[in-house]
Amino acid sequence: MSVKYTPVQWNRNKWIYDAVMLAGVAAFLWVFLYVTPEVLNHDRAINPQIHNARAFGACAFVMLTVILCIGPAARLDKRFLPLLYNRRHFGVMTAFVAITHAGYILNWYFNFSSSDKYVGLLYANSSFGQIAGFPFEIFGIFALVCLLILAATSHDFWLKFLTPPVWKRLHYLIYAAYFSVAAHVSLGILQDQQNHLFTVVFMLGAAAVIVLHIAAWLSERGEAAAKDGAWAKVAPVGAFRDGYAKIAKLANGDRVAVYLMEGKLSAISNACAHQNGPLGEGKIIDCLVTCPWHGFQYDVRSGRSPAPFTEMVPTYRVRIEGDMVEVHPDANPPGTYVEPVPIPTPPSSEGVTA
Amino acid sequence: MSEKPFFVGYLPAPGPLRMFLLAACVLLIAGLGTAGYLMGAAQDDPGPGAFRFDYGRQTVTGVIEMTPYPVLHVVEGNDRIMPGDSFMMTAAGKSGVDSRAMPLNGQLAQVSGIVLERGDLYMMQLRGGRNGLRAAEGDVPEIPTEPQGRWQLSGEICDGKCLAGAMRPGRGLAHKACANLCLLGDVPPIFVSTQPVLGSEFLLITGPGGTRLPRAAYDYVAQFITAEGEITKRGDLLVWEIDTDTIEVTE
Amino acid sequence: MDVAQALVMGMQTWGIVGALVAAVFLTIGIDRIDEDARGAYAFRPLLIPAVLLIWPIILWRWWQIESERAAWAARYRAVRAPYGLAVCLMSIGIVVIVFTGLSVRQTWPAGIAPVQLTKGASQ
Repeated sequence: MSVKYTPVQWNRNKWIYDAVMLAGVAAFLWVFLYVTPEVLNHDRAINPQIHNARAFGACAFVMLTVILCIGPAARLDKRFLPLLYNRRHFGVMTAFVAITHAGYILNWYFNFSSSDKYVGLLYANSSFGQIAGFPFEIFGIFALVCLLILAATSHDFWLKFLTPPVWKRLHYLIYAAYFSVAAHVSLGILQDQQNHLFTVVFMLGAAAVIVLHIAAWLSERGEAAAKDGAWAKVAPVGAFRDGYAKIAKLANGDRVAVYLMEGKLSAISNACAHQNGPLGEGKIIDCLVTCPWHGFQYDVRSGRSPAPFTEMVPTYRVRIEGDMVEVHPDANPPGTYVEPVPIPTPPSSEGVTA
Repeated sequence: MSEKPFFVGYLPAPGPLRMFLLAACVLLIAGLGTAGYLMGAAQDDPGPGAFRFDYGRQTVTGVIEMTPYPVLHVVEGNDRIMPGDSFMMTAAGKSGVDSRAMPLNGQLAQVSGIVLERGDLYMMQLRGGRNGLRAAEGDVPEIPTEPQGRWQLSGEICDGKCLAGAMRPGRGLAHKACANLCLLGDVPPIFVSTQPVLGSEFLLITGPGGTRLPRAAYDYVAQFITAEGEITKRGDLLVWEIDTDTIEVTE
Repeated sequence: MDVAQALVMGMQTWGIVGALVAAVFLTIGIDRIDEDARGAYAFRPLLIPAVLLIWPIILWRWWQIESERAAWAARYRAVRAPYGLAVCLMSIGIVVIVFTGLSVRQTWPAGIAPVQLTKGASQ
C-alpha cells in the first residue's frame, strides 16, 4: 500500500517469490548454457553468441508462458493466487532476459557491417511480401517493446497515476506480445529446426496458455449473469457467510461486493483501488476487507483504507426485500460512509463457518 | 464448505497453503531447468564451417579477377593453398574487398589473411589495407574461362562468409537478415547445390552478364529454390550466372 | 534503407522528447498530482523508462488530473470486457501463425539433381 512511494516495498513473501523465480531462471540458463553443449557434442560448436542468444530467447519465452499461465490458473483455482502476488517482478525479470536475447542478436547478426546495427536490423531483410523468409525480427521487436512498456509501468505509482482501468488496458499488450513471440518463433527458428523436440516444447507452452485462458474466460462468463432493475438482486440472506462477500454484477457492468460483517451487510465496489483486484473474493481480516491480490484493506462501511493509508473505493446502498439482499446501482463517491444493514435472523449456515 | 486458506501477501502464508506453494516452487524450478535442457539439447548441428586460425596466416600470390566478386587464381601458393586453386575473398566483418581489388583486376597480387573452410569450400578473410592485398611483380598467366552451358540447380543462396564458417550456423531462414546484410556489404554469394555440379557442391553466384546478385534474388536468400543460369568455370571455381526470373521455391 | 534510417531517427526523437517530459514530470509534475510522491525521491529514477516509452499517455493523464476531467467512478470500473476478446484474438492468432509457419516450412530438396539444359562452348 502507498503512503510514501519507495522503489520496491519488500516483504518476506516477495523475497521468497523472487528467490524462487531467480532460481528457476538460473536453472534454465545454466542448463542451457553449460550442460547442453556437452550433450550436443557437435564437431564444431554453435557460436557462443548464437548459443547465448538462443538460451535467453528460449528462457524469455518460457518465462512469459509461465507468467501468462498464472493469471487464469488463479482464476480457476484460488490456491494459485500467491503466485499472482508478485508477478510483476517476474514480468520485469522477463523483460531483462528478453533484452539480453535482443542484445546478443543485435551485436552478432547485425554488427560488423558498415551500416548502423539498428538501421541494419530494420532494412537487411525487406521480404515483407512472403511468409517463409518474412523478417520475423519485427515480431520480436514488437514483443520486446511491449515487455519493456509493461515492465517500466509496473511500479504502483503508475497504477495510481494512470488509474487501474487505463493501466489494465495498457497491460493487455501482454496478449499481443505473446502472439508476437509465437510469430517470431514460428517464422524464425521453427523454419530451420530439424530436431522437432524444440517445436513440441514450444507448442505445448503456447497450448497451455491458450487452454488456461479460454477456460478461465468461459468460467468467468458463466458466473456473470447480468442483472437488471433499479435495485439489483445479490443473493438470498441465507447465502451470506460472516466475513465473506457475494458479488453482484450491475446492468452497467460494474461489480459490487456485498459483505456480511458481524451480522450486518455493507456494499463496496468490487474493484480494489490498487489494481482493480476482486475485493468480493477477499475476506474480512481484523474488521477490514482484504483484497485477495495484494492485501490492500478497506473498512467495509466507508470503503476507506485504515490510516495512514489513503486508498478509497466507492460504497453502495444495501436493502433487504423479503429474503433477498439488493444493492442500488448508483455508487456513492469513494469513502462515503453507509450505515450497515442488519440481517433479520442470524445466517442459517452459521454452523458451517466454524 | 470448509474454511479455505486465504493468502495475504505481507502476512505469512496460511499452513494448509504452504505445502501447495512449496510444491509449486519446486515444480517451477525443476520445470524451468527441464525446459532449458529440452530446448538447449534440441539444437541442430551447425555444420563444419570455421575460421582456421589453427592454419595460421596464409600468404599467396595470384591473379585477381572481378567476376564481379573478386576471386584470386593462385599462381604462387604455399603448403596448403596450391597453384591453380581459385578462391573468394572478403574483408573483416560484413564487407567485401571490392574497392581494394578493383584497381588490380587482371593483375598479379599478393593476398594475406585467415582461411575460412567448410568441406571443399574455402575463402580468405584478408588483413586490412595493403597488408592484406597488394600488387605483386611477375608475369600474369592466362586464366582459363570455360563456359559449361546452362544448368538448372536446386539448393540455397547463402552469403559465402557465414556459410564458410564465420557463423555457426551460417545459413537458414533464422540467419536470413544477417546473410542479406553480408551480401549488401559485397560478401560473395554462394549457392549450395543439393548435389555436386561438375564436381562441386558450392558455386559463386553472380547476376546475368557478370553483374552483382540482383536485388530481386534477395527475397529468396536462405530459402530452398530451383533456378536456371549459365555456369562458367573460371580457373578452378564454378561461377553461376543466376537468372532471377527462373527462381522458384521448392516444395 | 531510407525508411529504416527514418524509423531509427524517429525512435531517437521519441526518446529525446520522452527525456524532456521525464525531466519536467519527475521534478515538478509528480509533486503537483500525487501527494504520496512528495518527499519521496528514491523511486523516481525507476519511473524514467516508462516516461521515455509512453510519454504521450503520461502527458494526457497529467492534463486530465490537472484539469480534473476524469470522472471519479472511472477508476473503479474494472476492465473485464476486453479480456475475452483479447484472449480469443491471441489464441486464434497463435494457432494461425504456428500452422502457417509450419505449412511453409521447407525440407532440403536433396532428391532434386542438377540438370544440364544446354552444352557449354568448351564442352
